[in-house]
Order: sequence, then structure tokens, then C-alpha cells
Amino acid sequence: MASSSSEVKESTSRGDGGDRPNTKEDDRKEDNLLECNICLDTAKDAVVSLCGHLFCWPCLHQWLETRPNRQVCPVCKAAISRDKVVPLYGRGSTQQQDPREKVPPRPAGQRTEPESGNGFSGFGFGDGGFHMSFGIGAFPFGFFTSTFNFGEPRPNVPAQGTPQYMEEQFLSKVFLWLALIFIAWLLLA
Amino acid sequence: MANIAAQRIKREFKEVIKSEEVAKCAIKLELVDNNYTELRGEIAGPPETAYEGGNFVLEIKVPETYPFNPPKVRFITKIWHPNISSVTGAICLDILKDQWAAAMTLRTVLLSLQALLSAAEPDDPQDAVVARQYKDNLEMFKLTAKHWTNAYAGGPSINTECDDKIKRLVDMGIEEHQARVALSSYNWDLERATEQLFS
Repeated sequence: MASSSSEVKESTSRGDGGDRPNTKEDDRKEDNLLECNICLDTAKDAVVSLCGHLFCWPCLHQWLETRPNRQVCPVCKAAISRDKVVPLYGRGSTQQQDPREKVPPRPAGQRTEPESGNGFSGFGFGDGGFHMSFGIGAFPFGFFTSTFNFGEPRPNVPAQGTPQYMEEQFLSKVFLWLALIFIAWLLLA
Repeated sequence: MANIAAQRIKREFKEVIKSEEVAKCAIKLELVDNNYTELRGEIAGPPETAYEGGNFVLEIKVPETYPFNPPKVRFITKIWHPNISSVTGAICLDILKDQWAAAMTLRTVLLSLQALLSAAEPDDPQDAVVARQYKDNLEMFKLTAKHWTNAYAGGPSINTECDDKIKRLVDMGIEEHQARVALSSYNWDLERATEQLFS
């Protein structure tokens, strides 16, 4: 770290003829920005808390282990926990080290799919997926709905054009037709 | 783990040496041994307090688990303060106990101690005698704290009345510090202090 920054300083002072007299000061400030708040060294396996403070994951892990009952940010004392830190991945950082060497493992990043616009509006049932429940208590459909939807949040709508999307469209149509036939049968019977 | 502790103290030490508080002579830090496990701190008494003009020396012991656990700090210089033991120099300060956070440094600890000198917490005392005096008779407390600052920390304010009373007890064969403690504890009432010393 120190050697690379001094190289930079030398090259700029030679090349630009002293354009930036504060280079050394700037370098030091920039280094400080990426220092772990616990070991005060450049952060390794960096993670950042939701309150925005940077740590090495091994350092923060040890801090959380030291006081399992009072997990607070070492800088600002905001609530903090293993699940509420975000790892920072620099370019190429994942290849540098075998992750198995990193004990304890750094928590994984959380990735949320972007909201996708859905194209399914053909049958006037509102939103994309088919969602219908029958209050009549007919055996097969009540069975389906309670078995497949029980206690689970509805999954995200897959992106348009993917095989999964096509499949779901198809299933929706099958169930819709089954429902229509069932209603027709009820009316006729 | 001891490695993290030494590594960090090394960095902190450099940081303190360069800090503006050292330039202003408000705090000082010295190494006692070469393993970075024991240091000697010094803080200036804050202005406009009874401790103004005094220099207070602290013993700082860095545990192996630093910075995950706080350093052990106590006053070596004798001081009259509700949150500091007048006998042992032990300090009652939350950040040196359960409120410690790993991002705190020796510099922030020294500055917090300086702040403690300007803002005592008599409701959470370390020295019950001092705390009682602080709550019952603030003027008497200030006079006593100033006298101790002069006697032990090189403070400028000399109180001849206190010195005379101590001298009378010393003439009776009492050790000077013991005489000062007795008089301080009894609001400089010579009779009661004598009574306690000879009972």
C-alpha cells in the first residue's frame, strides 16, 4: 500500500513538474477512507454496515462475537447484525483468495430482481399470475389452492420471454379453462 | 489476537503524536514498554474547572483482546473527583466498561476522561465521600478539588488555609496525605478530622 502510493507520488512529481503539491496528503486521506474502523488497516473482506461504516469482516465478526447481547456499530452504536451488513466486492476481488480460507465466511450480498412489467392482462383478472379461489368448497379446487398457496408469499413474476414465464402462462390458461368448465357444470347441473 | 492489539496501538500511537490535542498540550501519550501493552497518558485539567492548570497522569494497560475490550485505565495522580477513587485512582466511566466500542481509540479515551473532569456524574459515583460532598456542598468540593490539583498535579491555586490545617496535623505526627484525606472528607473541619485520625 505504502509503496504503491509513493510510486504514484514520484511519477506525478516528475511528470507534471509539481502540479499537485498535495499528492501525498491526498493519498493519505484516500487511504483513510478505506480503513477498517476496528483494526485501522486497509479493510480486507470489506463489509459496510447500514449506517455506512466500513470494517474488515473478520474484525466485525469478532466484535459481534464479543458482545452477542449488545450488537451495536463500533462507530456510531446503531443496531447492527450479521444479516445487516453488505459486503463490498471490488473488481476482481473474488478471484484473489480462496473463499474457504475466509473464516468466518463473509455474509453474502443480497440481490433483488428488478420489478418487471408484465404482459398478462388478457382475461381481465388484473395482475399477471392467475389467482383465484373458490368459496363453494368444491373438493378439487379447494384442495389445489390450499395445498399450493398455503402460507407462502406469492413468488415474483418471472421476466417475460423466459421459459418459466411461458410455462406459467400455460398453467394459468389450463386452470382458467378448468375453472370455466367447472362453473359451467355447476350451472348446468 | 495479541497481534491486532499491538498493531492497532502502534497506529494509534502515531495518530496521537500527530494530533492537534498534543500540539495544544491537552493530552500526551508515552510508551512504558516496547510491546505496546502498557502506556502512560497525561491530560491537562480543563480550563474553568477546579482542575485547571493541573497535569494528570494515567496508567493505561492494553488487554490482549483490545480493541474488542476496553483498555484498563486509572489515575496515577491523586485527584478529588466523584467518579474517580481518591484512594486507588479507579475510574467510573461507562465507555471504559460496557459502553466501550471497538472504534474508540486511546485518543478518544483521553479526551473522554478530560470531559469527565469538566462534567462529573455524582449520581454514579466511584468515590462515595467525594460524591456526597459534591452534592451537599459544591463550594467545599471545588475548594478541595482545587487544593488537590495544587498538591498533586501542579495546579497554580494555593489555599493557605488548607495548607495550614494540614501542617497542624503533620506536626501532630500524621502523614501529609493521610491528613489531607481526613480533612477533605470532613469538609476541612480540623476538629472532626483529628477525632477521626486518633480514634
